Amino acid sequence: MHISEGILTAPVLLSGAALTVAGTAIGLKKIDYDRIPQVAILSAGFFVASLVHVPVGPSSVHLVLNGLVGIFLGWAAFPAILVGLLLQAILFQFGGFTTLGVNTLNMALPALICYMLFGKGVKSNNIFASSIASFLCGAVAILLSSIMVALSLYFTGEQFLTVARLIVLTNLPIVFIEGIITLFCVRFLKKVKPDILEVVYEN
Amino acid sequence: MKINLKIRNRIFSLLTFLSILLFYQSAAFAHKVYLFAWTEGDMIHTESYFGGNKKVQGGTVKVFDTKGKELVSGTTDENGEFSFKIPEIADLRIVLKSSMGHGAEYLFKKSEFSSGQVPAAEVAAEPDTGQESEAPLRVTPEGGRLRKEIDAALDAKLKPVIREIAELRKEKGPGVTEIIGGIGYIMGIMGIVAYMKSRRKKT
Repeated sequence: MHISEGILTAPVLLSGAALTVAGTAIGLKKIDYDRIPQVAILSAGFFVASLVHVPVGPSSVHLVLNGLVGIFLGWAAFPAILVGLLLQAILFQFGGFTTLGVNTLNMALPALICYMLFGKGVKSNNIFASSIASFLCGAVAILLSSIMVALSLYFTGEQFLTVARLIVLTNLPIVFIEGIITLFCVRFLKKVKPDILEVVYEN
Repeated sequence: MKINLKIRNRIFSLLTFLSILLFYQSAAFAHKVYLFAWTEGDMIHTESYFGGNKKVQGGTVKVFDTKGKELVSGTTDENGEFSFKIPEIADLRIVLKSSMGHGAEYLFKKSEFSSGQVPAAEVAAEPDTGQESEAPLRVTPEGGRLRKEIDAALDAKLKPVIREIAELRKEKGPGVTEIIGGIGYIMGIMGIVAYMKSRRKKT
């Protein structure tokens, strides 16, 4: 999911960076004082999640957990994912500095979209509806991220359909795994700390 | 009932933690892509692999000179290896592109060539002159059959050493230090953000 350095063209890199800066600015404004630790914890979770690998065919995919980050943070997913990716680039050499903007956008925008699409459903008191929404939130976030990675590569001249098919196919197991992980995390947190979701939706 | 729930939650978090550890142990860090190159005789060998020593199969390898002119290109075999004749004695940029935006680069310095090595074009051209290869063993500082034979013998002797060095240069995936360090950084950033926000709150 992380695009390496030296693959994308300058316009893609710059527009990715610009959108990420905008998203991060909005995200930082939306974090109020009491939610800072929550953002940090999810950022740390995102940072570590990418180390959990699932070998698939010739390549391998890893957890991203951007759906989970999105459902709890909304706009604040941008700064959380940016920090996580920055540290992954420094410490693990995943992705790179020049591609930081594009990578953040590719993972944070789907997080935000899923928050907007499924937020209400996840919050629902109906256990069934909430579970379905949580699963979809985790799954769709990865699916959208894959499509965005394919799009970024498309702008550099690769065949969109071929790349998109490859990325979506290799990430398919992760789509299900993340859906289930997101489902369990939401169910667990709703039981242990039901107010955690309420805080987010007051904004 | 309440205690029961508490215990269940404890067990749940313990299981989550254990499963992450298990994943962590078994899964290879197959994300970053590495490319290494070394010379042997008149060939340059390259080896490409994902972190965790998973070979890159069917990746595209391209060799450029310093001006960005493409000299050689090919695909890696099932062992992630791709070998080619030395195109010219100069700094070479060897670029690997595997699927989904993963890539790596290796700068082959001019100084890494040994003095006896000649570009493929010249080797091919040599037999036409006829006499050269039949020349008697001479103890002259430059050229000659003796020189070539010494080079060949040295290559054979040094092969395991070169391999060993390539093996040693292979970077290992991120260790516990990096992971804990990264989480520490995130907590530090959290502190800074909290500090900034608290100051803004007061003023």
